[in-house]
Amino acid sequence: MASVTLSGLRKEYGDLTAVDGLDLDVDDGELLCLLGPSGCGKSTTLRMLGGLETPTDGDVHIGGEPVTDQPPYERNTSMVFQSWALFPHKTVLENVAFGLKMDGVGSDEREERAREMLDVVEMSGFADHDPTDLSGGQKQRVALARSLAIEPDVLLLDEPLSNLDKRLREQMQLELRNIHDEVETTFVHVTHDQNEAFTLADSIAIMNDGQIEQIGAPREVYDDPVSLFIEEFLGDTNLVEATVTETTEAGVVADIALGTEVELPTGDASVDAGDDLTVSFRPEELDVKRADASGGADADGGPSITGEITDVLYRGSTVRFYVECAGEHLFFEQSVGADTDFAVGDAVTVSWDPADLLAFAADGDRVGGGGA
Amino acid sequence: MSFAWLGERIKRRDAGSVFLIAPLAAFELVFFVVPFLILVRMSLNANADPGFYQPAWTLEAYRAVLDSGLYRDLVVFSFELGVIATVIAVSLALFYAYAAYRADGLRKSLLLFSIILPLLTTLVVKTYAWRPLLSPNGVLNDVLVGVGLIGSPIQFAPGIVGTVIGQVYIVFPYAVLSIYSVLSTMDWDTVEAARDLGASRPRSFLEVVVPEALPGIAVATVVSFAWSVGAYAAPSQLGSGAQTTFAMEIESLMLTQFDYPTGAAFSLLMLAAMLVVSLGVMRLLTGSVGGVEGV
Repeated sequence: MASVTLSGLRKEYGDLTAVDGLDLDVDDGELLCLLGPSGCGKSTTLRMLGGLETPTDGDVHIGGEPVTDQPPYERNTSMVFQSWALFPHKTVLENVAFGLKMDGVGSDEREERAREMLDVVEMSGFADHDPTDLSGGQKQRVALARSLAIEPDVLLLDEPLSNLDKRLREQMQLELRNIHDEVETTFVHVTHDQNEAFTLADSIAIMNDGQIEQIGAPREVYDDPVSLFIEEFLGDTNLVEATVTETTEAGVVADIALGTEVELPTGDASVDAGDDLTVSFRPEELDVKRADASGGADADGGPSITGEITDVLYRGSTVRFYVECAGEHLFFEQSVGADTDFAVGDAVTVSWDPADLLAFAADGDRVGGGGA
Repeated sequence: MSFAWLGERIKRRDAGSVFLIAPLAAFELVFFVVPFLILVRMSLNANADPGFYQPAWTLEAYRAVLDSGLYRDLVVFSFELGVIATVIAVSLALFYAYAAYRADGLRKSLLLFSIILPLLTTLVVKTYAWRPLLSPNGVLNDVLVGVGLIGSPIQFAPGIVGTVIGQVYIVFPYAVLSIYSVLSTMDWDTVEAARDLGASRPRSFLEVVVPEALPGIAVATVVSFAWSVGAYAAPSQLGSGAQTTFAMEIESLMLTQFDYPTGAAFSLLMLAAMLVVSLGVMRLLTGSVGGVEGV
């Protein structure tokens, strides 16, 4: 158990900068998810934490101790690899006991502790199996047990769930959470899957171009994204171009590409008339009604536009509808079996609460505060 | 759904396989099986003083080989040379193959290319090339005397040192390639995992790399050993009279003493001995990891 501090961390490979002056604090016992698209430097950051890469510049502190120049075998961190990296020539039990053997723990004690660890991950029936005979999910459990057996200060997880199928992955996310609660160790979990990060994390650090773009509790990050990058990365959304027509006390009025004007409650943000904005209409914030049945689009007083359903995509438990409004395409989703069902060609009215809209300036930064 | 098409396909493929394997089978028959049978027949003839052999059915030649003290000494020396050359070649090859596995880009190409390059030269020529390097007035002695490490030149060749160096040089590329081919499929993550779990570099090499390379080490050992026990080029060009192997003696029996039955019997006895030893080595080295199916 220990806190982790990364300060001014850099890693360059020739001309390529993988990690570009990254600062990060992880609290003792926290489960932090490093989330980002491939190539953003999240795995490199994790490997520098584990000592498998040497930083070009910057410092790594674990539990307050500087460990920047320590090789991996001297640090009390342990990594669960994406490929799981089980030793193919050792049994499951020998794999789990390996770290203890390297620590010089006697053979009886390490066997006992390894068996306990296999119990924790529910693999005690496989102690004498060959790792190559195990399924992906089982290998993942053994890799986790092997890393936890040495009681690391920090457990590092490098996308260990990404090679599992969806159902197993979701089950393992919950189990990982439970194991984290049980062992009370600091976990740093790297993933490119935002759902996984939301399920697992105490806090999420979203990386972009070798730096941390935003860090916070999952809910906080989702409700209050600081940039367009985060908004796009966290989930599918409708992005519509807009131009500011006037500034008011509460925010700005913008002419959106949907052919109407909206009031954006951006507070006293520094935008002027004529500035370009990108407005995010999250699909879950859109209220869609059949145009002929709504009995007046502006019945509830909110802004609305009319459009026509152009595509219907069945995506298992949800249906995604595409609406064309003034040449722009918006989408929204409904659960299968919901009351309203639309068909291609239906005329609909789309309305929203302006307070739910998020606006971003041309440089990608968020304009003012929106939702929460 | 009918599987008739599958059966058809398998049948067609069978015919194709026979067709494809026919040239190789014919080659093996003409250049290996038939000469081998001639050798077996020859070993059962009686020797004749003027002349190469006398047609007969006798085990006399085998008895002559097994009774000879001189031949026993030659066989013992051949096995000694085999063990020494194999241990040196395979140990060096393990590190060389690991270095090649770890290198990338130009360095990897260079390491692998310099292993292939000697294979493009004739065995006799490249073995002979060691003579000017290792002889008493050769380059190595000039350097050693020049820097004052030794007072007077040492005769590396002709002699045992030259013989061992030459033999190691001959089998080294094959040992490297056998080990590299197995090691190249190793997941580097497993070595990192070992270090991450507290294994130092040498320890992670022993715990992870060596077990992974074991099937390759087994092949390298058998190839190096079989070739070195039957060494001919290195001891005849870089050895003195004391470095006579059984292969050189068989050559002499066949081409100088014209004693075909004894030469043939000696060959077949050594072939049987080598087969037994090679199988034993293979079993010993791969038994612990459950066979060499992965090779």
